[in-house]
Order: sequence, then C-alpha cells, then structure tokens
Amino acid sequence: MPLLKVQNIFYSVEVKGARKEHAGILLNVSFEVEQGEILGICGESGGGKSTLAKVIAGIIKPNSGEIIFNSINDYTKEKDRLVQILFQNHGEILNPFRKVQSIIDEVLKINGVDKKNIEMERNKILNSVGFEKELYDRRGYQLSGGEQQRAALARLLAVNPSLLILDEPFSAQDVESQIKLIRLFKQLNKEFNLTMICISHDLRILKNLSERIIILKDGEIVESGKTTEVFNKPKEAYTKFLLSAEALNLTYEELQTSSKI
Amino acid sequence: MLKVDINSVSVTRDEKKKTILQNINFEIEKRKVYSVLGKNGSGKSTLIKSLTALLPNNQYEIIGKVFYDGTDLLSASEEELREIRKNNIRYVFQDAANSLDPLKKIKHYFKLLNTDFSSIEKQLQFFLLPAYNKISDLYPYEISGGMSQRLLLVLALLANPDLLILDEPTSGVDYAITNLILIKMKEFVQENNKSVLVVTQDIDFAINSSDYISYLSNCTLKKFLSPDDFMKSKSDEELKKFIQSFNEISNATS
Repeated sequence: MPLLKVQNIFYSVEVKGARKEHAGILLNVSFEVEQGEILGICGESGGGKSTLAKVIAGIIKPNSGEIIFNSINDYTKEKDRLVQILFQNHGEILNPFRKVQSIIDEVLKINGVDKKNIEMERNKILNSVGFEKELYDRRGYQLSGGEQQRAALARLLAVNPSLLILDEPFSAQDVESQIKLIRLFKQLNKEFNLTMICISHDLRILKNLSERIIILKDGEIVESGKTTEVFNKPKEAYTKFLLSAEALNLTYEELQTSSKI
Repeated sequence: MLKVDINSVSVTRDEKKKTILQNINFEIEKRKVYSVLGKNGSGKSTLIKSLTALLPNNQYEIIGKVFYDGTDLLSASEEELREIRKNNIRYVFQDAANSLDPLKKIKHYFKLLNTDFSSIEKQLQFFLLPAYNKISDLYPYEISGGMSQRLLLVLALLANPDLLILDEPTSGVDYAITNLILIKMKEFVQENNKSVLVVTQDIDFAINSSDYISYLSNCTLKKFLSPDDFMKSKSDEELKKFIQSFNEISNATS
C-alpha cells in the first residue's frame, strides 16, 4: 500500500493580468509515493510544481480528484500535520520574537511530547539537521540563510511528519551548500525512514537525490520513472529538451520551437 | 574600456570598520564577457556596486580609482554618474521585482528610453515576453518574478550601454531562459562591440558564457582566466573545493 496516492487531480485558477498564462494549473495528475522513498518532481517555471505540492498538503483544494494518504481519503486536522512543506522562503516560518530552541520546544509541546523529554527531543532534532548548539538561543533574523533553512527544517521535523515536501530548497545556494543539503536530506531519509518529495527545476540536483522522478509540463505529467532511466534514456521530446537546456547548448530556433512562450 | 584599481572597500557598522574588498585590479575590454564567481556572501554584489559608486557613502568607504573613458568614476559628480549609469554602464540586479516602481505602469520605463518601437518589439519577442501593447499597460506586480527579470534585461539592452553588469542573472531562472540569456549576451558583445560583467555562483553559466572567469574569496579577486584554465586552477584551496563540489554534483549518477 503506497503512503500517498494522487488520483486524477484537476486544478485551475483565473488570475487577472499577464500571470494568467503562467498560473498554476494541473491536468489529470496521478501518481503514487511509496513509504520511505524520495520522489523528484521536475519541470520549468509555471509547470505547476508548487501548486501540486500545495494540493498534496491540503493547502489548496483541487477542482476534482482525490488525495489518499495512508489509506485515508479525507482532509483531517491530523493529516495536515503529517504532511509538511519546506517552502522557498523558509526563513519566514521562524517567529522573529522567539529563540530557535523555544520555537522547536513549543511545537514539541503541542504535539504532546512529555515535558521532561522536550529538551532531549529538541536537541536530537536540531542535531540531526546539523544546527549548531551555539545558535540555539539566536532568533531567525540573527541567522544566515543556510542556518535559517536548517532551523525551519527542524521546526517541520518536530511535528514528526510522514511526508516532507521540499519546494526548491536548493535555489540561491552555492554548490558547496547544495552538496551539504543533499547529504542532509539523504541522511534524514535513512535515519527516520522519512518519505520526501523534492521539487526542483534543477535536474542535476534530482539526479543526486531522488531514485524516482516525475516530469511536469504545463500541469501534466509527461514522463516518469527511475531517475537514471529517465535521464539516460529519455522517451519524451520535452525531457530531451530539458536535458539539452541543462547543458546550455540550445540554439534560439530550438528554444522557440519548445513549449515555452 | 573600464580600468579598475580599487585598494579597498570598507563598511562601518555599529562604529566598527570592516574591510570587504582589497586590491581589486582588472581591466574590461570590448567584445568580451567577464564572470566573477564566489560563494554566498563573498562580496560579489558589493564589488559591482563599487564600480559606479552605488554604495551609500555614509557607510561605505572606497579607496581607489575606476576609469571609464578617461573619467574616474569614484571622484565623479553625482550628475555625471547618473548619466553614465543611464547610458553607458547599466545594471540588472538580482531582486528584479524590487527594481520597478509598483505605482507606475510598465510603459513608463519604455518612455524613458530613446529607442524605436521595432527594437522594443524585437527584444520583447526574443525574451518570450508579451507584445508591447499587452505588457505596457500592466503594473509590475501583474507580471511574474521571472518576467520582471527578463523585462529589466530588455530595458537594459535597449539603452545600448557599453558595459552591461548582471547580478546573478540565472538565480531562480529555469534552463530554457538561462539559454536565452546566454545567447543574447554573446550576440550583444559580438555584434555591438560591447562588454558584459556577470557576478554569479552558477559555474555552468560562467563557463558557457564567458571569455574570462575570476573567483572572489577572502576579500580579493583572483586573476581572470579563460574558462579552461579556470577549471584547472589549483592556486586557492577554497576555489579548488568550489570546483570539486561542482564536479561532484554534475557527475552524479544517483
């Protein structure tokens, strides 16, 4: 039984202005996520990646289709907490008035962790994301971007989620930080048997992180399969296009005939 | 075309003085693309802002000279600098959306340029943006972040500057658009006899777009090298690690 079953999701939205053509839409999206795997979702800007993440987490309601999580086909309070998203603007989830440790402690308390175990649990979680002890009593704005991201990640892990969705966690990071993050996600995946969905437009990162991948184009899944197979033997023209775009050797003519515009 | 001879750039905050850049010496020639690589927070944006004295001078102190066309930009008057930044040296900053006034329609920016309608249409079309009659009536918040970044590139190119300075042009941009920017940059320097200076952490983009690459670390700028030589450089431990990390990510087989 898969952990998550996404079935025939349709979603569209009307937006005024030029964004309309780029607004997130989903057309008949179906896939499954197994317990303990890391699934990659790849595609260009405006392909519907973030919209899909929000639909899975129950933040937005699809026009039609079903999300079956742990065999439960309903949005309940409990389920909301089982799915956590690390957003691109991760720093904003840290309350600027509170120290990192008190933010984590509060989440643990709400989740019913016994009072005398809170400190131990908090240290364990912050340690697992590589957040240094000296920074425990800093506030969000006193941390660098990378440290903020780790604190935000710890805040999500404190809920003890069954599924963690990562929305472009690597953008605006230099390559060394990217490698550190890839190692961290792999380690969390192993240590807690934590299922993850990683959204990225960067094929290279997904090659490093996910065993399975889904390619989204204009809200539709065009190709999916094992990451190595999809990248080494792409079947669809769009996947081939993404791969040569990544190599930065497309001509203007090739770009024009692509789906973009 | 541009000769940079900066001894130091320092910032004073909370009465403490901190040096950000030291001994920055390089020259920019025509028809060439230059890239400066460096990690987050290494001072890349400070470097490009120093060139035309864009840093607030009540906090920052720049010692040195930057010659453009015989004029020292660091001792030029604010009026002279404004003209140069408008016509000769144009920037496109990373936080594109913040560079546009939310109360002004996009047509306002096109009206500031002395350029004909067909060049505008041509550039908009190249960057896969909506046609002029469609986009000009919109406000900046009605277009996406990616679109405003491309729009700023179009506006900078239409001003036809001698030097175009780009701050992280590929961050948050997908590969198709990265390809477009790359093609346009090459065309711009070669066909119009211009130069481009890029600061970025995207090694791939730097290698594929530039004639010369340098690395900024520990407040100083390494020598500009051809992409091939740059990737082989062993002079600096931090740089070596940076290149290694890049190779590690690129060669992954999952």
